[in-house]
Amino acid sequence: MTPIAGGVALNLAFGFSILTVFTLFLHTRNGDQRLFLTGQRLALGISFFVFLATFILAFQLIQSNFDIDYVARYTSLETPFIYKISALWAGQSGSLLFWLFILSVYTTIVILQNQRKHNSLMPWVIITLVIVQMFFLILTNYVTNPFKPTDADFIVTNGNGLNPLLQNVTMAIHPPTLYLGFVGFSVPFGFAISALINGDTSPLWIQSIRRWALVAWLFLSMGIILGGWWAYRELGWGGYWAWDPVENASFMPWLTATAFIHSIIIQEKKDMLRLWNMSLIIMTFTLCIFGTFLTRSGVMSSVHSFTASSLGPIFLTFVFLIIVVSFGMMYFRRNELKSPRKMESFTSRESGFLFNNMVFVVLCFSVFWGTLFPVISEAVRGTKITVGPPFFNQMNIPIGLILLALTGIGPLLAWRKTGRKNLIRNFTFPILTGLSTATILLFIGFRGYVVISFSLGAFVTATIGTEFARGIHARRKKFDESIIKALIRMVSKNRSRYGGYVVHLGIVFMFVGFTGHAFDDEKEFSLTVGETDHVAGYTFELIQLSEAERANHYAWISDLRVTNQEGTFVTNLHPEKRIYFHNNPDPNRRQPHSELDIYTTMNQDIYSIFSGVDSENGVAFIKIMVNPLVRWVWVGGFILVFGTIVALWPRKD
Amino acid sequence: MIDFIRDYGLILILFILPVIFALQPLFLPRIEKMHIQLDVAELKRKKLLIYRQIKELEMEYDIGNINENDFISGRATLKKEVSEVIAALKSL
Repeated sequence: MTPIAGGVALNLAFGFSILTVFTLFLHTRNGDQRLFLTGQRLALGISFFVFLATFILAFQLIQSNFDIDYVARYTSLETPFIYKISALWAGQSGSLLFWLFILSVYTTIVILQNQRKHNSLMPWVIITLVIVQMFFLILTNYVTNPFKPTDADFIVTNGNGLNPLLQNVTMAIHPPTLYLGFVGFSVPFGFAISALINGDTSPLWIQSIRRWALVAWLFLSMGIILGGWWAYRELGWGGYWAWDPVENASFMPWLTATAFIHSIIIQEKKDMLRLWNMSLIIMTFTLCIFGTFLTRSGVMSSVHSFTASSLGPIFLTFVFLIIVVSFGMMYFRRNELKSPRKMESFTSRESGFLFNNMVFVVLCFSVFWGTLFPVISEAVRGTKITVGPPFFNQMNIPIGLILLALTGIGPLLAWRKTGRKNLIRNFTFPILTGLSTATILLFIGFRGYVVISFSLGAFVTATIGTEFARGIHARRKKFDESIIKALIRMVSKNRSRYGGYVVHLGIVFMFVGFTGHAFDDEKEFSLTVGETDHVAGYTFELIQLSEAERANHYAWISDLRVTNQEGTFVTNLHPEKRIYFHNNPDPNRRQPHSELDIYTTMNQDIYSIFSGVDSENGVAFIKIMVNPLVRWVWVGGFILVFGTIVALWPRKD
Repeated sequence: MIDFIRDYGLILILFILPVIFALQPLFLPRIEKMHIQLDVAELKRKKLLIYRQIKELEMEYDIGNINENDFISGRATLKKEVSEVIAALKSL
């Protein structure tokens, strides 16, 4: 009975969504507040039914009710509790329901937050959000229903279980975080569409969504970083970013969203870039839907595409409609979208922001082209030509470095125009810092992108330091405060500005980490107990090879003792070779998996993979990778998150 | 009937209550738009935003990011805007 209730809840939610759109549309025609209140409550009703359906599915997953096809496909009796919960977003229909769940949470917050605000904007904001909900309700009701009963004409006693790669704590957190970001951009998109329909394209709608855009951006950033962390610690190829289509699917909206959160500052302060901001948020939302399509349609071959489906045409139609309707409305409102003010000088902060925006969009286009090229080549020439990391690196490293440079240049420019005197005063110290770093690196023997990346990192760090120093100095002069007090007051009174600088510092850290990739070293070898081999100045000795049977897998565990060139003990590594579903009588259903072990410091990671085992002769096949500076990427990620939280933190007025 | 209500009662409540909740405003007498109340809230928000912009402008000037002429004209424009908002608030 309970699964039926889940299906009924989704049906009712769909019915409510039609009624909501109808009721609110009528309200916009005749202004009757009763219709607005009803529309609001119907929209809250959609959320309620979606919450109900999601909780029912989660409950069925926990209860291992294999009468439901989804439960049987993605869990088994042996699946640990936490992964039964994460199975909710492991498969196609569950993840679409989860998308809908998050959108319903956001819609509820938007409605409750704006009950007495934005009276003219809200009806169309709710209509837009509900139309997006309606799309996902059509999918979950009629295309891929998570409550579909099991097809088998016998009683299913156990399920397939969750893919071992997904049985990882990071993977339990990564998709929800990413989805919180993807779905979060529905809210700014809703306000943008509402502003277009109302013809009020002044900075009002921007002021309403600035925090929403930042929250969505924060979650999207966290999702991407967690995805990289998961790939690095779980997939066993030694890297965190492979330009995989699904990685790119999350990266593309991140790029346009980053451009958006920068350029809305210009519209807020100067009422410029109205058209540009509207385009950026439409692009970002479209790319979020497109990203979900790439992840869930199976159109691209990818480590992430765990399911293949027939969702493609429906998603593409929706994407097409979003583009046509949104840009059609922009064309219709082209006069209102003309900004009343113009750029006055090339050396102004406005120009810096605009240039940075354009580079973000160019980078996004480059990633988009590389991601879709295999599909386009297959459609046009009948042969799938895959574009690999070399293409992306060749195209995107220079663009990325330009962006890094602009991260430093932008804050040094003044609004409207930077005079020559100011230019010299602001740029002298950062440029000298960058040039000194480049000279030292060239003298040591480094060449190419490594020198450019580290030097630009030093330049941007100097810029940030200068901005903090000047701000503190100004406060001390004006209020006679101590350095610490001036710093705290300055940041707390200008959270978005200084939070933004902290985010930039996080980006610098990440670039340092990316640059470390140029010095990676690796070796594959076999060892029996007592034997040793050497990689990048380290000695690896196999101390022990043991076996263990655990709840949902069988494991061979190696004990590797690592010493450095001087013979000093460094660490013990314990990579494992596992077989999941080892008790399954069908050998084809057993899944091998390498659980790696990493010794990590700020300088480098020693990354060990147990790639195979000859249990009869006691031979372990080991792959070791020494990856410099990887930890800088994760530390940079933490700094970025911290900076965004500072920028988001509410201030007292 | 009693068995049916016992077995399905909770589910019926879960499905029927939202319908009643959503449709209830339709049975109210016609509500006029709360124009004044909403306008006041909007104007107060606008006032706050302009105050923030003035503070930020002062900071930009203190740091040396804008010259004196731009600072004076920018602050005058913002002060004029905030005066208009305050006047509008008083008139409501």
